Amino acid sequence: MKMSNETKPPRWPLKFLRFFLKKEYLEEIEGDMEELFHENAETLSLKKAKRIYTWEMLKLLRPVLIKNLEALHNLNQYDMFKNYFKISTRGLMKNPLNSFINIFGLSVAIGLCVFFYAFARWTYSTDQFHEHKNEVYLATSFVDREGTQQQYGTTPRPLGEMLKEDFPQIKSVCRIEDRNVVVKYEDNVFHERVRYVDPAFLEMFTFPLKWGTSGSLADVNSIILSEKMSTKYFGDQNPVGLDILVKFNKDSGKVFKITGVAREFPKARTIDFSFLINVENLRTSEPAYNFHDWHDLVNATLIQVENPNDISAIKGRMGKYKHLQNEAVKADQAISSFAFEPLATLHERTENMRDHISRSTRSDYITVIYFSVIGVFMLTLACLNYINIAIVSATKRLKEIGVRKSIGAKRGTVIVQFLSENMVITFFAVVVGLILGLTVFIPGFENMWHFSMGFRLNDMTLWIFLPAVLLFTSIASGIYPSLYISKFTVVGIFKGSVQFGRKNPLTKTFLGIQLVLSCIFLTSAVMFTQNSSYLAKRSWGYNQQQVLYAVVPDQFAYEELHALLIQEPDVLSISGSRDQLGKSNTGAVLQFPDREFEVDQFAVDANYFETMGIPILKGRVFKDHEGSDRQAIVANELLVKNMGWEHPIGQQFKIAGVQYEVVGVVKNFHHSDFYTPLHPTIFNIAGKTDYRYLSIKVRSGSEIKTYKTLQAKWAQLFPEVPFDGGFQEDVWGNYFQEIGNHGKVWITFAFIAVCLASLGLYGLITLNVAARIKEFSIRKVLGADVKNITSVITNQYVILFGVALIIGAPLSYLLVKLVFDSSFAYHMPVDFSGAVIAVAILILVLVFTISTQIKKVIKLNPVDGLKAD
Amino acid sequence: MKKTKLGEFEELVLLTVAALQQEAYGVEIKRELEDRLKEKLSVGSIQSALKRMEEKGFLTSKFGEATQKRGGKRKRIYAATPYAHRVLAEMKEIRAGLWDAIPRLAPELRTI
Repeated sequence: MKMSNETKPPRWPLKFLRFFLKKEYLEEIEGDMEELFHENAETLSLKKAKRIYTWEMLKLLRPVLIKNLEALHNLNQYDMFKNYFKISTRGLMKNPLNSFINIFGLSVAIGLCVFFYAFARWTYSTDQFHEHKNEVYLATSFVDREGTQQQYGTTPRPLGEMLKEDFPQIKSVCRIEDRNVVVKYEDNVFHERVRYVDPAFLEMFTFPLKWGTSGSLADVNSIILSEKMSTKYFGDQNPVGLDILVKFNKDSGKVFKITGVAREFPKARTIDFSFLINVENLRTSEPAYNFHDWHDLVNATLIQVENPNDISAIKGRMGKYKHLQNEAVKADQAISSFAFEPLATLHERTENMRDHISRSTRSDYITVIYFSVIGVFMLTLACLNYINIAIVSATKRLKEIGVRKSIGAKRGTVIVQFLSENMVITFFAVVVGLILGLTVFIPGFENMWHFSMGFRLNDMTLWIFLPAVLLFTSIASGIYPSLYISKFTVVGIFKGSVQFGRKNPLTKTFLGIQLVLSCIFLTSAVMFTQNSSYLAKRSWGYNQQQVLYAVVPDQFAYEELHALLIQEPDVLSISGSRDQLGKSNTGAVLQFPDREFEVDQFAVDANYFETMGIPILKGRVFKDHEGSDRQAIVANELLVKNMGWEHPIGQQFKIAGVQYEVVGVVKNFHHSDFYTPLHPTIFNIAGKTDYRYLSIKVRSGSEIKTYKTLQAKWAQLFPEVPFDGGFQEDVWGNYFQEIGNHGKVWITFAFIAVCLASLGLYGLITLNVAARIKEFSIRKVLGADVKNITSVITNQYVILFGVALIIGAPLSYLLVKLVFDSSFAYHMPVDFSGAVIAVAILILVLVFTISTQIKKVIKLNPVDGLKAD
Repeated sequence: MKKTKLGEFEELVLLTVAALQQEAYGVEIKRELEDRLKEKLSVGSIQSALKRMEEKGFLTSKFGEATQKRGGKRKRIYAATPYAHRVLAEMKEIRAGLWDAIPRLAPELRTI
């Protein structure tokens, strides 16, 4: 042969072609392709010829040339499927109860999965709508704190401008500062938060405008509003071109021209704004603000690079700034390194970062994991129901299978029949489940947590997810019954020697698994509910009930308000402070000769401890003479414990270079909610000029009355400034509602799980009793009483229940303990009571389920039972 | 002539088949057309055009000889049916008629 081995075309495309192409065309086209290949191999290179050959083969896949894929199957397949469909719909109609259990159970489980999917999608899409999410970075700094590197989202003020000058790779830089202001337009006056930003803000973040132009931010007199703010102040009217007054503090303000209104922000975001103004306005609002001071920090510095690969080069040359900063601040707050966090993943990485502009989504991601586990559990519950009922009810279909097999159905055909039947049922379930998810679960959850996931049906991946669920569920639930049912021989079936469905160990195992899962869900529900009432009663460590507070603009406002309120008979004590428990606090670094220690700091006046009701353990609180107590510190128990001080009174340390001395110790108290662990905390005397909060302790019972008085006095004194304040009890916002919701969510899950399990059990027992109706009739004729019948029916389940609960109870106890320890800093002591209550509820439901069937048998007239079929 | 449903590319292939006579099989048709059109064509496009036209009755085909170069596979020689010739002639006539019409239209076009 003249052709060598190498000049042969590759084999696999040919095989591929032979599979797809119509047989009658094969010889001709194969020949053509080979001829062309040799021609190409001679004129071009062998490699190229092979490539062309393969490519041309692929291009041969045209509708005219390929086999009719339907024709691959035998012609009667269609009719067979039609028959299967008919038989399965008849089966569904004949046994409406079982069909209901199957379809309803699956639908609920799938509905939950749709909801979990929506939640996961919402979580994963967080901040992903920003076009430049991979090119925009937040500059962050690391500071050494007791040996660990603490990351901060803040950076020294001059960094941004210097970066822009020093690195050509950096396209733009944006600094962000946030300030509380009062915004006024005609009669609308509200406390608001403005973002001072560089004009690049709207290029970095993809927040398209509804009205106006984003470039206008370069003008220092421009202000851009969010859609929400625009509606708040102007309704549906387009406010572009109107003037709005922003009051930076009591004395200074500036009129801005509205030049833009942002379109509604996407739901899944961690960064947004209410008002945007140019960062240069800081020169007007805070004349002391120094853009070039390395001591001071700016809320955020963002950079945008052309190419994300440039970041490592920039990072490598950050040493220069580190030196500048360290020289300026010396040992205090010296930065050990800089890092850049891309916008795309910022929200995932901010859990342990401090003072950043984003919001950590760690808890959302953890919820996604919980939800996936619960989703799989629920689907398992529903599938097990299906499997059990399918196996047991197959007894009634034995003859059908026998007939099918004897007229030529192979085992594979029977499997296909059962699987396709299952597909039909699951399809109904998916449709119902989707409706349930969209109309019940998603809106219910959104209402409960007051947010919107912005879930739409036109979401592409949903239409991949749903068929995947359909396929998975129908195969997972159908494969075992179909394999099991199809394996019997025709002879066996017709001889009647096949006895199945009655004593299938797997059926019982499945029921057992269902019970264990229900037990876990129930225990969680019970414990979460118990925990929320426990936390609601848990002491905050101070007397939050009798206290009201108001935010004051400055010392003078404080004094004026103080003078009016002190005359009120219901007011027991008034204090001023820079910080307020639950509202705001600052951080401080305690400097000892050999180490540094980070604490939370509250600057308050001498009355504060009395007003708030914080109990004193040792020493004294501040005296009224602020002059003498300037360097005094009151510490909390935890600080004393962490420092290992045996005699805390008299301990000394420095804060920002100034010497302080501990004069008193107070009991631990929770200033932020129970999610947050206690922090070592100090109090010091606040300078009167720093007063931002006014707190009043009122006579018990007069809280609401005094609150109204407080508001009235405020309106009288400061008609221009809206009142900002409230009950100290409310400073944790909707924390209690939130933990209450945890309980509600688990109750829902537990309810569904128990329903599914008892539906399954009900279905099983019904079928079982139906199959043994003759036996029971004979027993009754021979004189069996209620006790006897009851024991005959329940006997087979008692051991199963026992085993399931013995496994389920400790397992749920351990799992819930694990969940509690990982998600709450403080929770009720986990004991067995939750598991015991869960087991009790479960037993009640089981007994009720069984008793319905026992009642049926007891009422049965034996004649009817014996007459039947 | 009713709807002939002859596409532009199909027409080109059909003409090539008619021109090549006894040599009209896949590779040769492709080669000839590539030469004339001065562009690369895929086997798939030629083959699908041929098969479609065979279905529509423009072409008939029979097996030809097998060669070593074709790995022992036979060629399929295509031939245009009389119906195809008629349709081709009609199309040519229609085109010619239209071409004749152009000069008459041209002055008016110029005024636009």
